[in-house]
Amino acid sequence: MNSQRIKPESEPPKSQFQNRDLPAGWQQNPSSWSQRLPIAILALLGFVIASYLALYQWGVFSTVWEPFFGAGSRTILNSSVSHLLPIPDAALGAFGYFLDAVTAVIGGRARWRTMPWIVILFGLAVGPLGAASIILVILQPVLFEAWCTLCLVSALISVLMIGPAADEVLASLQYLKRERLEGHSTWRVFWGLVTN
Amino acid sequence: MARILGLGDELMWAQVINALVGLWLMAAPAALGFNGAARINHLIVGPIAATFAIIAVWEVVRTVGKLNVALGIWLVVAPLVLNHWSMVSTINSLVTGIIIIALALTSGKTSDKFAGGWRSLVDSHTN
Repeated sequence: MNSQRIKPESEPPKSQFQNRDLPAGWQQNPSSWSQRLPIAILALLGFVIASYLALYQWGVFSTVWEPFFGAGSRTILNSSVSHLLPIPDAALGAFGYFLDAVTAVIGGRARWRTMPWIVILFGLAVGPLGAASIILVILQPVLFEAWCTLCLVSALISVLMIGPAADEVLASLQYLKRERLEGHSTWRVFWGLVTN
Repeated sequence: MARILGLGDELMWAQVINALVGLWLMAAPAALGFNGAARINHLIVGPIAATFAIIAVWEVVRTVGKLNVALGIWLVVAPLVLNHWSMVSTINSLVTGIIIIALALTSGKTSDKFAGGWRSLVDSHTN
């Protein structure tokens, strides 16, 4: 498998006429709207859920919706872990989802090439949010013997975004490397200042 | 739907099943009624295994699914090295561990739709 990947046959075609939105050697454009909009919608859904939970944690709502686990959501959302930081953890999550949604929609169909910086920022926003969510999912039952339905849904959403976000990050990183090998400044390519 | 999210290869189903097995690990202590180290172990391994598998549903990061081989091996040996496992929790850990290992091993095969993938970033002579 590994040896096959570095054979010359797998080199992308260098046609001048190929679709400029498509990364060299790819079958799909990872920056197309059909790939990015679902992520943005997931992020918005996560933002709504996390905002609702944060408003409960701030005392704006006196009760929280919990269909399955009785007092579980109350136990989790008022736990010591959820208040480790100056702001409640759901508020931090809401900010993370907001950043995911914004960085998912900024830029056009070729942004893996025209705006690598926003793609990298998008990846950096999606990854840690997912990791933090999973740590919280583990801590819920282990430390507090409780589950919080909306927290689990939120965690699932954050993990679902990682895979579809990763291909765009890969396309941008491959492009940065390719441009560097052709002698362009990685810094300028990263900010989309090199046009070709 | 599959095309929309950049999905669509057959091997993703192994990851979908592993994700469901991970979720089952989270539910098993309550569903089967066991406690102690077995419960804690299920509740830690379950979400991590499910996360790796869900990420690996997408072919571009399919290799993340291979991390579940290690978690599966741990599920098989955990009843031997941790104390106070009931019969039911031991059987659950062994069976789920073997399933996870078998399905995680399929994540080594990926077609090259991504111009060499992540490996191309470290190879000096591609692109």
